Amino acid sequence: MTASMATSRASGRGSTTGRDGSMAASSARVAAMNGASAPFIALEQVEMMFGTHRVVDQLDLTITRGEFVSLLGPSGSGKTTILMLLAGFLQPTAGSICLGGKRIDHLPPHRRDMGVVFQNYALFPHMSVADNVAFPLRMRRVGREEIEQRVTRALDMVQLQHLRDRRPAMLSGGQQQRIALARALVFEPSVVLMDEPLGALDKQLREQMQLDIRDLHRRLGLTIVFVTHDQGEALTMSDRIAVFNRGRIEQIGSPTEIYDRPASRFVAEFIGETNLMAGKVTTTGPDGSLIRLDSGEDMAASAADWPAAGNEALLSVRPENVTVQPVGTARRTERVNIMQAKVADSVYQGDHLRLHLDCGQRRMIARLDRQVADYAVGTQVDVVFQADNCRVIPT
Amino acid sequence: MSAPQEIKTASARAMLLGPALVFMAMVFFLPIWTVLVQSVSDPAISNALPATVAAVAEWDPHTAPTIAMQEALAEDLRAIDDPQILGDVVRRLNSQQAGFRTLISRTSGALNRLADDASIDLVAIDPRWDDPIYSQAIAATMSPTTDRFLLAAVDMARDAAGNIGTVGPDVSANRDTFLRTFAIAATVSLVCLLIGYPYAMLMASSRGWVRGVLIASVLLPLWTSLLVRTAAWYVLLQDKGLINSALQWVGLIDEPLGLLFSRTGVVIAMSHVLLPFMVLPIYSVLLTIPPNLGPAAASLGANPIRSFLHVQLPLSSLGIASGSLLVFMSAIGYYITPALIGGPTDQMISSLIAFFAMGSANWGMAAAFGVLLLIPTLLLYVAYDRVTSRTNGRST
Amino acid sequence: MKAAKIVFGLLAVTFLMAPLVTILPLAFTSSDLLSYPIRSFSLRWFEELMISDAWRMSIVNSLVIGAGATLLATVLGTLVSLGLRRSFAFSGILKSALLLPMVVPAVILGVGMQITFIQLGLVNTHVGVIIAHTVVALPFVIVSVSGSLAGIDMRVERAAMSLGANPLRVFGHVTLPLMLPGVLSGAVLAFATSLDEVVLTLFVAGPNQRTLARQMFSSIRENISPAIAAAAFVIIVGTVVVAGLVLLFRAAAQRQKPSTVTV
Ligand SMILES: Nc1ncnc2c1ncn2[C@@H]1O[C@H](COP(=O)(O)OP(=O)(O)O)[C@@H](O)[C@H]1O
Ligand SMILES: [Mg+2]
Repeated sequence: MTASMATSRASGRGSTTGRDGSMAASSARVAAMNGASAPFIALEQVEMMFGTHRVVDQLDLTITRGEFVSLLGPSGSGKTTILMLLAGFLQPTAGSICLGGKRIDHLPPHRRDMGVVFQNYALFPHMSVADNVAFPLRMRRVGREEIEQRVTRALDMVQLQHLRDRRPAMLSGGQQQRIALARALVFEPSVVLMDEPLGALDKQLREQMQLDIRDLHRRLGLTIVFVTHDQGEALTMSDRIAVFNRGRIEQIGSPTEIYDRPASRFVAEFIGETNLMAGKVTTTGPDGSLIRLDSGEDMAASAADWPAAGNEALLSVRPENVTVQPVGTARRTERVNIMQAKVADSVYQGDHLRLHLDCGQRRMIARLDRQVADYAVGTQVDVVFQADNCRVIPT
Repeated sequence: MSAPQEIKTASARAMLLGPALVFMAMVFFLPIWTVLVQSVSDPAISNALPATVAAVAEWDPHTAPTIAMQEALAEDLRAIDDPQILGDVVRRLNSQQAGFRTLISRTSGALNRLADDASIDLVAIDPRWDDPIYSQAIAATMSPTTDRFLLAAVDMARDAAGNIGTVGPDVSANRDTFLRTFAIAATVSLVCLLIGYPYAMLMASSRGWVRGVLIASVLLPLWTSLLVRTAAWYVLLQDKGLINSALQWVGLIDEPLGLLFSRTGVVIAMSHVLLPFMVLPIYSVLLTIPPNLGPAAASLGANPIRSFLHVQLPLSSLGIASGSLLVFMSAIGYYITPALIGGPTDQMISSLIAFFAMGSANWGMAAAFGVLLLIPTLLLYVAYDRVTSRTNGRST
Repeated sequence: MKAAKIVFGLLAVTFLMAPLVTILPLAFTSSDLLSYPIRSFSLRWFEELMISDAWRMSIVNSLVIGAGATLLATVLGTLVSLGLRRSFAFSGILKSALLLPMVVPAVILGVGMQITFIQLGLVNTHVGVIIAHTVVALPFVIVSVSGSLAGIDMRVERAAMSLGANPLRVFGHVTLPLMLPGVLSGAVLAFATSLDEVVLTLFVAGPNQRTLARQMFSSIRENISPAIAAAAFVIIVGTVVVAGLVLLFRAAAQRQKPSTVTV
């Protein structure tokens, strides 16, 4: 697909304007050109109430041009609502929304120039594939020949030229998905909004589409706001992820920041899997922090300046950062934590092995390489994890 | 949503709904309201004799009629210039008290001959005016509202003293018509249920072309004109019709059964017309019952009858309820089928309404029957609405 | 058990279908009697429909009144369905109220209409009959159009908006084409309802507004003849033709469009 898109772009470039050329630039370049300080989309103190139900709560969010930002959160956390606010299907009850420095929160949807890909694609069932893709161009009164060219190019881009005369009902889910994408991109909108666009596809197709969309994003320099409740999807695709909980952003940052340095218990538990241990902060600082667990052990954690010493906190360590050694073989150092445990269960998962460990009152999970020798249930072991892999999280 | 947008939606909605609401208000709700009003209104006297009504209101009915009343009546009678209004007054008073017809015509004739400024002495014109019974009749009819139509519709009436009593069956047999209406509707509902339930089961359990035929056999009659179907039953039920001929040919009967213009004929034809309304709700509920429940019950030790009674029947009870309510509700208002297929003793309330409205222009009586038919119909509709919203709520 | 099912099924299907099957052939009898056996076939009763003033006029009246009522009911019912599409305070009650003509016994409505129409000067006029038929046809249009509107995914309309269509164009390009099947079947139901209406016609129509159904009603009552079967034949064929046209129209609308993009 990538190769064919490249050729279609290249062959089509002659007939289109300079704008197309600039959109073909990589997202990194565009972001650099605009400078990180100039937000393209800016939501300020946006609030959305449905009756007395506060669905979006004092939201601040800025997105630069060419960025791929995912809104990630459990269902009901207000992601769709934010997308609908951006697209103009809802008006915020307070706050402002700006695009390219201009307020747009009172513009109707058809004047916002945003391409929306809906969860169930929302293709026009009474129009052929080609007419679906031509629709936004017709609404903009583009000339007949140009429409024909751009539709052809858009269909080439998603490799569905051969289906142009079909009705949406005669297409598979993945094909409908691509048509929806082509339709949202064909008019070169300034922003593309996608609401769980891959939710209805099976796993294999979903992964293929994730790569395809990411590729389109880079190739066309699109600004994309992508809603998903699938953390894997968000981690794979995004420049930045905004993690939502009950209408608020819990944390916003790059995938690695979010995954490696979760800022709250919610983020730690929602993104990936984690072991959490309750305790009290003893020291914090640039050289690492110390936390005394409720069970009495002292654990070393990565550098942190917050929460301050004396506060309740949680220690978070990812299962893949937990290793296990035969009992008595591990040595505790300043930067290595160890713990005694008994293997409660051992589950073979194909590419890895999951050990459920009993550490006194606590349960931990370790994710081990399958090459590692099997530990029988009931075996006493040493649990080892590096301080740098441990995060202190406020409770 | 912002305020200007809310106003925009509201005004768009008003423009969409407005025309139909005005239309329905004028030609549906106003007519229904008119029926309700007609059933209790009795305006002939209060409209035509306003002065008399005012004077009668101050009169003690146990004493002789007063001079003021006589003068008021004379004034009112002179003011009437439309003979039709005078006719209404005479008819209304005469229905209350026999003798008014001659009394009024003699009085108004004499008044017209009298000079405008001459003193008035009604007793001199007709000595009957001295009898309080006539003034009492005016008093009894002067209210613009009345319950006599509603009472008469259920074979009751007020006597001279205003007490409500039952009228003998020799005079009026409206209660029989009500009972008959409900009996026919109940019979039709039962017949529809007895045929419709097994039919719906058969539909739900069959596959392929068999199901196609079964469904088509329900839908085709439903789509066919009611009048065409009634005409067809007329053909089938007549003495030389196919049913009687077939039965005679088989040798089951010697003489034609006389199905046309009979209660049996009415029930057969109405059941045919209403059967789809029983089958379809039950069928749609049966479709939602998982087909493996029967085998599951059997595996738990229930024989087919017990499995039906304990599993399928309770699960389909909402379908039965909505089908039966729909059929019964439609049946009590039926007019055409009994009018064409039934005999004189098979007529339902609707026929009475049509008779009073079209046969004798007695809109008060027609409206009274209408109200008494409308009330159960609306109650049944509310019940039906409840049942179907429960069905829908469950399936979603 | 299986045999019992088959016997019951056959009997029930016979009961349901027998009236339709028996009346149609009688339209072609040459006899004066509306009964079997048919000794010889002829078209004389169709000629009768054409020649006799009463029948001919009633057919014309039915077509005129049916067309009027269909148009009025379809327009009003479609507007109402659009207005009731999104629920608001009392919208449920409003809809139930608008469906009441399906429920109220026709005779009661007839009495009320007769009294009201006399006051409005509509009694014994074509307009009056059209209005009366519209009232009972309206619920069918509302049910049918509301059903098709409920089937439209709101996201499809939102998609059109986000792609640059203003509200008017969203309606014209998306909502209208998607609701059209419902409007058409509503119109067919409205026409069928008008064609079949007798009771209200009895109350508000004069001799000049006699419809086909009204004419059949009095001829079954007063002088039964195979002309009734011929009229029934005409009604059934008429209904089938109208329904068939609608199906054809819908099929044509569904057919794939030519491969170039239509602008
Ligand atoms: N139109 C609406 N009216 C009332 N409540 C709504 C409406 N739309 C969404 N909500 C509520 O807002 C919350 C967030 O919904 P949504 O934005 O769809 O969440 P998400 O897309 O994250 O699953 C939910 O609790 C939902 O019930
Ligand atoms: Mg959502």
